[in-house]
Amino acid sequence: MTEVEIIQKLQRGNEQAFKELVENYQKMVVNTCFGMVHNIEDSEDIAQEVFIEVFRSIHKFRAESKLSTWLYRMAVNRSLNFIRDNKKNKWFQSFEDAVQSKNAELSRITTGDSENPEFELENSQRAILLHEAIDNLPQNQKVAFTLSKYEDLSYQEISAVMDVSVSSVESLLHRAKKNLQKKLYVCYKKKCI
Amino acid sequence: MKCKTLHNKLIFFLEGELPEKEMGLVKTHLSECGTCAAFAEEMRKTLGILEAEKSPAVNPFFYTRLKAKLENQGSEQKQVFWKPALVRVLQPAIFSILLLVGIYIGIKIGQPASTKQYTATLMHNQDIPYLNEMASETIETSLME
Ligand SMILES: [Zn+2]
Repeated sequence: MTEVEIIQKLQRGNEQAFKELVENYQKMVVNTCFGMVHNIEDSEDIAQEVFIEVFRSIHKFRAESKLSTWLYRMAVNRSLNFIRDNKKNKWFQSFEDAVQSKNAELSRITTGDSENPEFELENSQRAILLHEAIDNLPQNQKVAFTLSKYEDLSYQEISAVMDVSVSSVESLLHRAKKNLQKKLYVCYKKKCI
Repeated sequence: MKCKTLHNKLIFFLEGELPEKEMGLVKTHLSECGTCAAFAEEMRKTLGILEAEKSPAVNPFFYTRLKAKLENQGSEQKQVFWKPALVRVLQPAIFSILLLVGIYIGIKIGQPASTKQYTATLMHNQDIPYLNEMASETIETSLME
């Protein structure tokens, strides 16, 4: 089925079309959410909400925009909502929970290299540092950076998802990288890895 | 190129985004300055994490879980939809049943007490025949007089 066919069939309530749509875009949506929240279980939960929203509001979808743009936008918005709601709950999260969730999220990066525990630990620390640096970016910079780095989207595509001009995307990415560089330099100076 | 200038350009160097001339300058500095070279290596490794994270393993149960969630939410919505109708019918029915049960229980509880009282007064009346005469007199008979 082509994208247009999938959408048309889905609009008529065809379940096979929905299944195919999910299969085609699952990886993309989960990956985008992961870039935003850095936790695989949470990313999958958010991605599922995105697809539920697709199922419920496919009749609102206009063919003039790309399906992927729509999906990216929903993935970003739902991840931002998740982060906002989670910030409130973090106050009540115990330390053990926090460590456990960190470990779970790190297992994603470190699988396949268990023969080299030192490398694994170093990589985990790097991942924590990098996620922290990304999370500290202003929201728009973080969104642009995630779409660019995790999904390899072009400036043009990012501008469509974020509904800003291409030059804004360029500037957001430039500032995001500068901020990350600063953060990583401070860390390097303090020898935090 | 000074070390500080390099620190401001390093990420763009690693991304290959600098103009050709600057790329060359950074490269030269890195080959001559151990400190900057070490920092560059650190940053390269850290940014490399992004590449490693990029391709998540596809969860084979994703669609099954999603479908279950959809069906769950669907039935919840249906429930919400028919709940008011149900409440409109059932609530008065249940209240009337409760009311009837209440009345029945009330009668049941009240009955033995009132019969006892009745017999007690009767016995009492039997003890005092004068009063009994008056009490046993019906309205009809008093009117007929
Ligand atoms: Zn230097």
